[in-house]
Amino acid sequence: MICRLLLVAGLLVAATCPAHAADWTMDVATSRLEFAATFEGAVAPGMFRQFDARIRFDADRPAEGRLDVTIVVKSADMNSADIDKAIGGAEWFDFARFPQAAFTATDVRMVDGNRYLARGTLSLKGVQSPVEVPFTWTATGDTARMDGEFVVKRGTFGIGTGEWVATRVIGADVKVKFTVRLRKRA
Amino acid sequence: MLRNTDRSWGAPAKLMHWAVAALVLAQTALGWAAVNWRLSPTKLDLFVWHKSTGMLILALMLVRVAWRSVNPPPALPGDMSRLERHAAQASHLALYLLGLALPISGWIVASAANVPFRWFWLVPVPAVVAPDKALAEVAAHMHLALFVALSLLLVVHVAAALRHHFLERDDVLLRMLPRRRGGT
Repeated sequence: MICRLLLVAGLLVAATCPAHAADWTMDVATSRLEFAATFEGAVAPGMFRQFDARIRFDADRPAEGRLDVTIVVKSADMNSADIDKAIGGAEWFDFARFPQAAFTATDVRMVDGNRYLARGTLSLKGVQSPVEVPFTWTATGDTARMDGEFVVKRGTFGIGTGEWVATRVIGADVKVKFTVRLRKRA
Repeated sequence: MLRNTDRSWGAPAKLMHWAVAALVLAQTALGWAAVNWRLSPTKLDLFVWHKSTGMLILALMLVRVAWRSVNPPPALPGDMSRLERHAAQASHLALYLLGLALPISGWIVASAANVPFRWFWLVPVPAVVAPDKALAEVAAHMHLALFVALSLLLVVHVAAALRHHFLERDDVLLRMLPRRRGGT
């Protein structure tokens, strides 16, 4: 009975995704999602300790790719008691009201070689805005690695409101950098 | 006259003495304002001013130590007692030590708190210790304790200078002042 159910489920999956692009799950322990803000002209690095990426991607058929990334915003860690306390507040990430962020891209294309571009939507602090994420893809057998970096404007998402909208003290640009290690789903 | 003599301070020693005196006053106001200001861009700016001034004081104090090591200070007045001489030497040693220890303890606070810092928004200043929340807290208390010690010592320093001038009527205070034109 169970076998038959699995078979039916398998057929359903096969029927709805005829492309056969591989599905990948993230290796949590070795993947990194980092960011770098600027603070009084100096670089202030941090990372999101909890996030997950589900990827459908085949280097030969990038157009069938899909990226779904979820980020636990309150896992943001800038390794500083003062700063970590401040960024959770309503003027910044507002952990209490917006604990989660997400990036979803269904438009993936090759740029050249192993470089690709994912155009998707970043949902952060209740704002949805288009974001382009360039990445490189290195696959070896059942494992793969995605690396990339891009810049977001914190103002787009209301990160830093009130007097923090001005960008002299805390810069407008936040660089986001990621290394995601993946395992092909069986 | 650049070098110290047996009877008076040279211009560099005087200049650096009064520069540090002015900077320490400004630094006290900046530090107090930075700590008490509500969290805002202004508060962060005040901290940059405070840290930048602190690094300036540290640099000046190092130059003063180096300058003093090759320029012995003028002799103390001959009529000072043994106890007074020891007190003068000990309090000046403590002033120099605190002048170095306060900026260094502040540097440790900022480094341990992992707050990035550019000196006057220009020059990146490296951290002296790795980020460490517990150390940041301990160092902040130490910074405050050193400030209290310096404040008390400065009261003694100023009182002693005034005592030399008005009660002992010697030239200990006058010889640290800029020389008046045509005077001696």
